[in-house]
Amino acid sequence: MTRALFPTQEIGSLAKPRWQLQGQRSEALDESARAELTSWDARVGFAAEAPAVRDALLTGRPEDAPPEAVRDLGALFALRFLETAGLDRVYDGEARRIEMYEYPIRQMQGFRFGGHVRSFDNKYYLKASVTGEVRLERPYHVDEFEFVKRHARAEPKLPITGPYTLADWSYNEYYLARQPGWKGRTARRAAQREFVVDLARRALRPTLAALIDAGCRVIQIDEPAAGTHPDEASIVVDGFNAATDGLDAEFSMHICYSNYADLLPALLEAKRCRQWAWEFANRDTAGHDGYAVLKVLADYGDTREVGLGVADVHRDAVESPEVVADRIRRAVKYLGDPQRIWVNPDCGLRTRSLSVARAKIESVVKGAALARAEFEHPRR
Amino acid sequence: MNVRTGLTGPFPRSEALVAATRDFDRGRTSADTLEELFAKTEREVLALEHRLGFDGPTAGYLRWPDLFRPFAETWEGFTVGPLTRWLETNTFYRQPILLAPPGRTAGAVAARLPPPLLGTAANARVLLPGPYSFTVMLDNRSGETEPALIHRLGRLLGEEVRELRGRGFSTFLFSEPQLVVRPPEGPRAEAVVAGYRAVEAALNGGSSIVWTYGADARPAFPLLDRLPVSAVGVDLTETEVEQLPAGPSRQGLGLGVLDSRTTLEEDPTEVARVVRAAHARRPAPAVWLGPGGPLDLLPWDAATRKLEVLPAVRAALAGSSP
Repeated sequence: MTRALFPTQEIGSLAKPRWQLQGQRSEALDESARAELTSWDARVGFAAEAPAVRDALLTGRPEDAPPEAVRDLGALFALRFLETAGLDRVYDGEARRIEMYEYPIRQMQGFRFGGHVRSFDNKYYLKASVTGEVRLERPYHVDEFEFVKRHARAEPKLPITGPYTLADWSYNEYYLARQPGWKGRTARRAAQREFVVDLARRALRPTLAALIDAGCRVIQIDEPAAGTHPDEASIVVDGFNAATDGLDAEFSMHICYSNYADLLPALLEAKRCRQWAWEFANRDTAGHDGYAVLKVLADYGDTREVGLGVADVHRDAVESPEVVADRIRRAVKYLGDPQRIWVNPDCGLRTRSLSVARAKIESVVKGAALARAEFEHPRR
Repeated sequence: MNVRTGLTGPFPRSEALVAATRDFDRGRTSADTLEELFAKTEREVLALEHRLGFDGPTAGYLRWPDLFRPFAETWEGFTVGPLTRWLETNTFYRQPILLAPPGRTAGAVAARLPPPLLGTAANARVLLPGPYSFTVMLDNRSGETEPALIHRLGRLLGEEVRELRGRGFSTFLFSEPQLVVRPPEGPRAEAVVAGYRAVEAALNGGSSIVWTYGADARPAFPLLDRLPVSAVGVDLTETEVEQLPAGPSRQGLGLGVLDSRTTLEEDPTEVARVVRAAHARRPAPAVWLGPGGPLDLLPWDAATRKLEVLPAVRAALAGSSP
């Protein structure tokens, strides 16, 4: 399929609307939640696709809006939100997911949750120990994808947490215990490789296969932990290769807030990775070209697509289309080939309000259009 | 072998405390109720440390949001900045921003020490950020050069030690992961030595421990050997025993023997074997055993189980002493 230059895509999560959160808890919507539902419906048009749920929510009858139906409506909202902003590839804003670690782990055997760990201040998260061989109970995200496939008007792209990140965010007991002698650096590294590859083979690969069987063609494997241990980049790759072994889909790898140069060239051994979807805008500040790191890819002769992060998801300030176009221009300069560039926000936009997220995505789309016009019809 | 054991960083909060702090943030519990639970849990940690025979109890430093916050919130020149990743972990600290040359606020840090420690100050272990890690992990907008700032923070921490000595405290543990994660060289390394000289001048017979973790300590040994401190700790889950400098050390030998990145409990026999090997390679006046990195990377139960290993190691080492 021939695409126009600089197609656009989302990367992951959106903030959940207030009406969805209240509705899922079977609460009657407060005034601001009702206003939010009504105003976004007027703007992106989604609620008419589930009129009974909409009416139950708006008329204070939570008993007639079961939580699963509210989640469906949340997924529909996110789809239309992203589609009407003009993106070429969309998903459901992860409307059914709460986070990206605990849910996948709970679909597997071999793990034990042992208590909370502080993330910062008074915020905590659950972190599991792997205490036995990893076994998948059932492929996950399949129902979610099937809903998206039934309703999406643009091309769906499914995000899924990668094996390295799932392992890195867990405590490694089982595989470390199998290492003989002192559990020092060398033993820990070997145990981590074994854990990641087992997770990939036994849990990720069957899940990806089930998703592909369900019709999923574009899959983004999220590895946000990859950058925290640059010396383990080869383990990230082993996990990616094991998870995608023999599978036929368009795979990308999303990494953010990392020094990508430190992960190269090891990362280039990810055989079936067609696209690097990386964050750049957050590091693109006055006096620092956040896109210059792309030159390293060119220096290694890598010719894969790049999902170019052009909107910072950690700041409310909305990048203008001109700034987006400038970022694309610089990426073309470093990569040398405009055909390889997809345009997207840096990461999931769940940390921003829906209004800011929408404005950022619209800017991404408009900026890509500006750059497209420039490269397809260069001024003489 | 003269063996000492104890915590080398903050202890995790109990599940009850996790729930209470969450409830407090959501307005579902009062400050008084939360304070009661903090005090109760600190007493539990202190009791645990006593039961395990630790030298230098800490009461867990459960109230500190992160290692730098008591300083960033009370010292002059600082403000509290954005969430920033804590080394190679999935936890975060709020990065101190230094807007002007820093100044100490007398009494401010002492007021934030775990209250139960005040009754047992002579035996307690005071946890402080090391001047190098503090410098590297803050956002320096003060205009001061990095070496000058390392030295200045060393002097300020020395003043802190002097004040706390006056309140009866005698053992000070400086958390210094960056000494091995990003070993300083040249003027920065000299500033580290100068900073610890300022601490030494304030000790007045007390003990100072520099505790490193998070990376292989090998590249930092030439500098670590020069530090005028009572003991230097290295994380043996990162540094191979065979890489320890050979020969006697004038400093105490700190060995991080519990891995705070896994819930897998260490085998006391295996730990004792490694400690003997380390001491044979590098004989030292005392051996300080503890967790390699901060145990608050683990849930409460797992951290407690890990600590139970240390008395068993101590017993195994005592049994094998000549």
